[in-house]
Amino acid sequence: MNQVGSVALIGALEFAIFGTIAGAVAGKMRSMRVLKSAERAALAFWVMTAVAVASLEYMIFTDDFHNAYVAAHSNRDLWGLYKVSVLWSGQEGSLLFWTFLLAGYGGFAVLLNGKKNRQLMPWVVSITMAVGVFFSSLVFFIANPFGELSMVAANGAITPFRAADGNGLNPLLQYHSMVIHPPMLYLGYVGFVVPFAFAMSALITKQLGDNWIRATRRWTMTPWMFLGVGILLGGQWAYAVLGWGGYWGWDPVENASFLPWLAGTAFLHSVMIQEKRGMLKVWNVVLVITTFFLCIFGTFLTRSGVVQSVHAFAESNIGPYFAVFLGIILIFSITLLFLRLDYLKSENKLDSVISRESGFLFNNWVLLAMVFAVLWGTIFPVISKAVENVTVTVGPPFFNKVAVPIGLILLFLTGAGPLLAWRKTSFQSLKRNFTMPLAVAVAVGAALFFFGMRDLYAWMTLFLCAFTATCIVTEFYKGARTRARMKGENPFLAVYNLTMMNTRRYGGYVIHLAMVFLFIGFAGLAFKSETKALVNEGDVIHLKDYMLRAESLTGGDDPNYTYVRAVFSITKNGHSIGSVHPERRLYKASQQPTSHVAIKPSLAEDLYVVLDGVDPDSNKAIIEVFVNPLVDWVWIGMTVLLFGSLLAMVPSRVEKEMAEIRKTKEELVEEKRVY
Amino acid sequence: MRKSVFTRGQSGNPDCDWQERISGFEIRGSQRKRANLLRFLRIPNPESRTPVVLFAVIALLASSALGAAPKPTLKSVGQKVYCTCGCVTTLEHCPHPPAECSRRAEMEALVLKDIDAGKDEQAILQDFVDRYGVPVLAAPPAKGFDLTAWILPGVGLIVGLVVVIVIVRRMRRPSAETAETPASSIDPKVLAAVEEEMKTAGLGTGK
Repeated sequence: MNQVGSVALIGALEFAIFGTIAGAVAGKMRSMRVLKSAERAALAFWVMTAVAVASLEYMIFTDDFHNAYVAAHSNRDLWGLYKVSVLWSGQEGSLLFWTFLLAGYGGFAVLLNGKKNRQLMPWVVSITMAVGVFFSSLVFFIANPFGELSMVAANGAITPFRAADGNGLNPLLQYHSMVIHPPMLYLGYVGFVVPFAFAMSALITKQLGDNWIRATRRWTMTPWMFLGVGILLGGQWAYAVLGWGGYWGWDPVENASFLPWLAGTAFLHSVMIQEKRGMLKVWNVVLVITTFFLCIFGTFLTRSGVVQSVHAFAESNIGPYFAVFLGIILIFSITLLFLRLDYLKSENKLDSVISRESGFLFNNWVLLAMVFAVLWGTIFPVISKAVENVTVTVGPPFFNKVAVPIGLILLFLTGAGPLLAWRKTSFQSLKRNFTMPLAVAVAVGAALFFFGMRDLYAWMTLFLCAFTATCIVTEFYKGARTRARMKGENPFLAVYNLTMMNTRRYGGYVIHLAMVFLFIGFAGLAFKSETKALVNEGDVIHLKDYMLRAESLTGGDDPNYTYVRAVFSITKNGHSIGSVHPERRLYKASQQPTSHVAIKPSLAEDLYVVLDGVDPDSNKAIIEVFVNPLVDWVWIGMTVLLFGSLLAMVPSRVEKEMAEIRKTKEELVEEKRVY
Repeated sequence: MRKSVFTRGQSGNPDCDWQERISGFEIRGSQRKRANLLRFLRIPNPESRTPVVLFAVIALLASSALGAAPKPTLKSVGQKVYCTCGCVTTLEHCPHPPAECSRRAEMEALVLKDIDAGKDEQAILQDFVDRYGVPVLAAPPAKGFDLTAWILPGVGLIVGLVVVIVIVRRMRRPSAETAETPASSIDPKVLAAVEEEMKTAGLGTGK
């Protein structure tokens, strides 16, 4: 199977090279025949990477410890589903997976644009395949997952070697959301290659109207959604596995995934100005370049070892290759942008500062300020080392101080932005639209203060959440009320029809609502409570309204790990609410211990119990108990974010009508040209 | 004398400039500048500032009423120092329990000892720096070159705001070249004829 995988990789690399050249030739010569050939190469690249992935997975599932990657990252007793995730648990396998997803996006772009965007497609294929050349070269030459174990005999002869068992998967990765979280993140990172390729293609072909923007809207929404959900799933994994009671630690790798998501968010907003008003053309190209650059930069950061991170792959020699690739991306895209500046002039002017357009501009300002702040903090240790030769650490205290105020401005704009009208918002409409949200926010703020909330940031967050939620609900209410009056529909049908009429707009509002839920969850962090205790059977731990009674402390054996399990019965305000079973596991293959956290979730707060091990002196269980308020709102926000993103991608009735009108217009233009 | 975009006199105190502070920026200059700014912002009358002022007042009152300096705890110090066991997380987030991680146990013991000795958070952090060096701090100290770590995000925010304001001003200026752009491959005359035809057919213009 190693040979099959290696041959597939060579094939993938060759098809990627051919696709790059053929796409460029097709674009230059405007040849449909050559374009077809390039598109077939893109599909063949996809097939070849799929064969390589299948070969590796086959070896993982059949415990082929002759393969060095399988021996390093898997073991015989690893549970089946977790064997799937062995593919992305190491440097080589994850790069192969990256390449496979890239090929998949390229293949889908070809299949879905079979008859559309014919002028743009040659260069789209060429650029996507050029990125494919980089990644498949990296996988084949530098980080090849199809290496074989070998043994050097005393006489110097090298003979193949098969390990009896593997080292096993990192225990921290043996968790169900780890099977979904990395693919989601990768789908996010990789997917931005398509909007980038369309943007570059538009620059090369000088087709810089809003065609490329329209063609890439769903191609942008899709990776943005995957990245957002992937980040939050990562948070869920950290919360359930790492045992410190939180879900976000501002680790460089976490930041690396957050940066392209922020830039992508800015892009998704500012493209609307180009579509509606023909403005910000340069800015949109800059944003798409920035987003893609940050995707590759994030991959570089995770894999090069330039910054210390809890998530990073082992230090390797691939950093310089990524640095060169990043340089090429920047030089190529910025040069192209400068050469086409004349074609990117604004078609309209701003009618008023108080308008939706300027709202989007300010949203872009805040998002990009956040990108800069997080990026600066993430790379500052490297800069400090280079400038002063002093190692400093930039962690949560820095990011919380810097990012939280910016986040609050963003939360305000999340609510205020949709209240502004396109072109110009009159004072009367401003007053009409802001009165109710402000009144609700003031009422909520006063109530929170009255009930004793004294944490400034948490108070401001919830104040702004009330404001933003009211803004969004009001938008739905006003639209549905008008519909109900005009068409006589019942309120539910009116909301449904209103949403389906313009899924993009109302899907966007649902995403804004998801942001409110997320911020409610973030506000809860200010009110965490925790305690630590050594307990024996029968001992009791008190925390806030909870009483935990240790019922038993038992040990056990699983094929993959040994464990110690504590069983606690829980009462809240004197009423029994069940039991929890935290565990401490020792994985046999890797000999690594991990905690298996027990969580009793509720909308108001989670009871979070960690068994840290057994104290060797007293033989008592070391227990940490946390009460984490409002955490579940983060996971609700994640679900709503997913729903809103999917909703925004459903073709709406308005969109269909607009497409019809555009088609008619194009046909008429064609007719007039002929005559 | 400092002039504000907001009217003075509501507080009755000529030295009171809280309205300037809460607006998030300060404007110096004459009444004419103020009028220009209002014109630039296209604010039709002073009442339109009410929501902004109201919001800012609430934020200011909240900031003055909320928050108090807390006493150091294992948790509060644990958030500000990195564990030296190699886990690359703060002491609070170290995934290794103290029973299995001697470094975490040692650092937590130091925090508790300092708290018992009545030291404040700064003194405890200084003890950590003395023992483990500056990298133990979870945020760079705000002095020397490291000060740039703290300043630049704020500078970025302000520069970004200035850039947005400049862009907004430029975008508002009428430009002659917007009539025709090289991006469009369609003859404007053809386009006008088509739009007229579509209008007659009741199809709209697609805008």
